[in-house]
Amino acid sequence: MTATHISDGATATAPGDTGGRSTGTTRRTGAEALVATLERLGVEHVFGLPGGAVLPLYDALYGAKVRHILVRHEQGAGHAAQGYAAATGRVGVCLATSGPGATNLVTSLADANMDSVPMVAITGNVASTAMGSDAFQEADIRSISMPVTKHSFLVTNPDEIAATVASAFHIASTGRPGPVLVDVTKDALVALADETLLQLPMPGYRTPTSPAPEAVRDAVELMLTHRRPVLYVGGGCLRANAAEQVLQLAEITGFPVVTTLMARGVFPDSHPQHMGMPGMHGSVSGVATLQKSDLIISLGARFDDRVTGAKHTFAPDATIVHADIDAAEIGKNFPTAVGLVGDARGTIGQLLTEWTRRTAAGAAPQHEAWVRRCRSWKERYPLGYDTPSDGALAPQLVIERLGALSGPDTVFAAGVGQHQMWASQFITYDQPRRWLNSGGLGTMGYAVPAAMGAKVGRPEATVWAIDGDGCFQMTNQELATCSVEGIPIKVAIINNAALGMVKQWQALFYSERFSHSQLPSMQVPDFATLATAYGCVGLRCDRAEDVDATIERAMEVDDQPVVVDFRVSQDAMVWPMVAAGTSNDDVQHARDVRPDFGEDE
Amino acid sequence: MTLLSDYPPRDPGLPTPAPAYRPPTPQQPPTKGTTMSDAARTRHALSVLVENNPGVLARVSVLFARRNFNIDHLVVGPTEDNKVSRMTIVVNVNAEQLHKVTSQLDKLVEVIHIEELEDADAIRSKLWQINDNGPRPVGAMAAAAF
Repeated sequence: MTATHISDGATATAPGDTGGRSTGTTRRTGAEALVATLERLGVEHVFGLPGGAVLPLYDALYGAKVRHILVRHEQGAGHAAQGYAAATGRVGVCLATSGPGATNLVTSLADANMDSVPMVAITGNVASTAMGSDAFQEADIRSISMPVTKHSFLVTNPDEIAATVASAFHIASTGRPGPVLVDVTKDALVALADETLLQLPMPGYRTPTSPAPEAVRDAVELMLTHRRPVLYVGGGCLRANAAEQVLQLAEITGFPVVTTLMARGVFPDSHPQHMGMPGMHGSVSGVATLQKSDLIISLGARFDDRVTGAKHTFAPDATIVHADIDAAEIGKNFPTAVGLVGDARGTIGQLLTEWTRRTAAGAAPQHEAWVRRCRSWKERYPLGYDTPSDGALAPQLVIERLGALSGPDTVFAAGVGQHQMWASQFITYDQPRRWLNSGGLGTMGYAVPAAMGAKVGRPEATVWAIDGDGCFQMTNQELATCSVEGIPIKVAIINNAALGMVKQWQALFYSERFSHSQLPSMQVPDFATLATAYGCVGLRCDRAEDVDATIERAMEVDDQPVVVDFRVSQDAMVWPMVAAGTSNDDVQHARDVRPDFGEDE
Repeated sequence: MTLLSDYPPRDPGLPTPAPAYRPPTPQQPPTKGTTMSDAARTRHALSVLVENNPGVLARVSVLFARRNFNIDHLVVGPTEDNKVSRMTIVVNVNAEQLHKVTSQLDKLVEVIHIEELEDADAIRSKLWQINDNGPRPVGAMAAAAF
């Protein structure tokens, strides 16, 4: 590496290079070096499933300080690592063998990549001498995972194992977090390793610094001069632990706040300035506040199509200030007036300082009328639901009671679909890291393993998985893991005997032709019996008057996982809704009910 | 086991007929949030220094494919440092797209440095000369070419 190639201050030698002096006296195998590295990095829990190519690694794990949790499917290991990372903020770790083991991880890697979850996946591969020969259980997972990870490594040299794993943790947890895959060949795991190199040089990997002072100045100037500003808070604030700063900024400026699906809990839902969640199934006030604003201050959000609706009609009057740790996000979807590249926590801190300086010098923002207008939307169009006329249980009621009865420190993990949206609408999240879901990729089957991971990371908290009957059947095998490993999660199945969101779209946009969206989940499987078979407590509830008692019974069990089969109305739909491809202006508060936003000032 | 209702469920009868084909509504000319406009594309040559690791070419080309960009020309060669390779990539994009693709490229861990070279067309014609003066296709390749 010559110095001419290093433009901005990256070091030419590896940060941990000891200059050839050996750090240990005894030589260890690559597998032992890998486990020792995990221990050195403070990893406490690993989710995985062994196989031929990782046997040397599993041998080294035998009796190690790291607790290995044996899952039943590698996808479960991946989602558990995600849930662990999302609930604790630490890097989640999962382990799999070569070939099918590794490819089973791909869904969770893609999910973590979309939602910026810090995660390291370690896979074994066939011996480097067998690579390319189509050996048994060989798959080129390094290449397969390229478009769905932050980075992926293939290690064939035992001397590089320790350094690569350490670098993987560094990449996963710094900058914009994301999944990193380390694929290690079997011969590298078996061979003796020289562990003098502690981290790879990585001259091309630079973590963002703080935003430019001029950009902060310009952003605050815009914030002071615009009359209809909104703080658009995204998942970046959650990953950066910026909840306190977001609250400070909101309270000192008085701006209305909307939080995205990924950011729920970063800003308290019960706060008077919180206008709700924007997006396809957000609240009317959340959608309208964003849509009618003239200045959007985006903090760690990425203008996802589920938030913006049809892009060419999104917030027609808005100027955009975009703060993100990932420079490539700025201007990706919308032209941006001011870009602030940096960690959300630091960026908001700088905005706060500049705002305080300017207001102390006499600048006065004028947005009282706008805040009043946003509040009137919030009062006129609250979230609500109709009780089914046929006497069936309302799914929204179940979720509302779950939120009310389970206490503020409960972690909720949702699958994907109607129940996910109801869980985001009818539970009040006042603290960060209490709401886990698959937002970007929309992975059905996320809830059970993610809840398992969250419970491992935060054993003192109650963890509820809110799952659909479709989602639950994709990953329910992890209930066995929960029973055997002593991970007492609670699962509420919102059983409407359908792939509910698919059915809702078919009802609304496909003339009620319910093509392959109905499941016989009230008969097959019997979820309560299935739960018992997995060593869990199985409960069932199909009447509104039994909901509270059933939840309380589930809450009493603390030494076993609990599965509650809530049999709910098959016709309930998620409202409000911005239909796919339409404008946020066309948000429907209920079916064919369009809110009146009133006149502009 | 007793089933609470018939399984398999009774035949729901004939479904309602599929709605008639509706031609897609013409899109309004996008004014905001345009990501892939065709406006004013020009050729840009990027000189990219990358770590000389196996798989780095795949990683770069996967990124272009994933972000829906096409590579016009691509040359990879060594530098005086055997740990670093230089890629010369010619892309046909507008300024906004160029900004997007370079900022995505810059995120790759193995990409060390990116700069845009002046006069992409000259580079392209030189690359064509190299292509034209290179070894003639033989055998099956020749059969496919002519």
